[in-house]
Amino acid sequence: MRVVVCGIGALGSTAVQYCRNLDAALRLVDFDRVESKNLAAQWFVKQSVGKNKAEAARLQLANFYGGKAEAIGQRLGAHNAAQLLADCGLAVDCFDNADSRIALATAARVAGVPLIHGALAADGTFGLVRWDERFTVDREDAPGQPTCEGGEHLPLIGLCGATLARAIQDFVTAGARRDYMISLSGVVRTA
Amino acid sequence: MAILNITYQGQSADYELALDFAPSDADIQRIAVEVVRSGSIRGLHVPNLPQNAFQAFVIDRLTGPDGEQRIYLRPKVPFGA
Repeated sequence: MRVVVCGIGALGSTAVQYCRNLDAALRLVDFDRVESKNLAAQWFVKQSVGKNKAEAARLQLANFYGGKAEAIGQRLGAHNAAQLLADCGLAVDCFDNADSRIALATAARVAGVPLIHGALAADGTFGLVRWDERFTVDREDAPGQPTCEGGEHLPLIGLCGATLARAIQDFVTAGARRDYMISLSGVVRTA
Repeated sequence: MAILNITYQGQSADYELALDFAPSDADIQRIAVEVVRSGSIRGLHVPNLPQNAFQAFVIDRLTGPDGEQRIYLRPKVPFGA
């Protein structure tokens, strides 16, 4: 199975790290570049600063673990979503804005590709891992609203990313579609 | 009977909701304020919680793994990065 991970930021990069031994081919999609401020909350190292995030994650998987992934440094939109989802058995949404989430969800539904969402609250104290059939997109308060950049709640981001990776693994290995809610109180399965 | 789950400032807890009517979103937000103020939900006690504390929160109405009705009052989650 090929798994496409869309958005390689805090959640996406963390989940990818824990998908490194998954029995699936990984396709990583992100148009953005690694900035110094990202090191506080995202799975990137100093040497990755300036690189495209998808390519940086691919290189880190290869250099640290000998893992393989395909990196695509494009912004996903209605014009290319179908192409980016091609040949995929699972799509993972880790985007940081409602418009991209909607474009991905629309394309995944049309293509019949199962889709799981990972999502964080602005203050980084709460997150959801939820399959598309039970997920509604929440809009940010303002376009470009920053979040989690200081890494204040990095352990919770790690927990969300690891929980997302676990949900991906459960789907790839057994076809299970499990939802989780993550707060500072812990992780609770909700479906 | 429904389970109302409230997440506030990163803490999350369940409250058994026994109502003889189907609560609107505004009802849920109002009830949640009272419950958290009163300390009757374990682990979430904020006596001076503002009346509008949950105004921007999202309400999910789902069916739990055992078929029970579950209502989640939670912060918005727009971000992955």
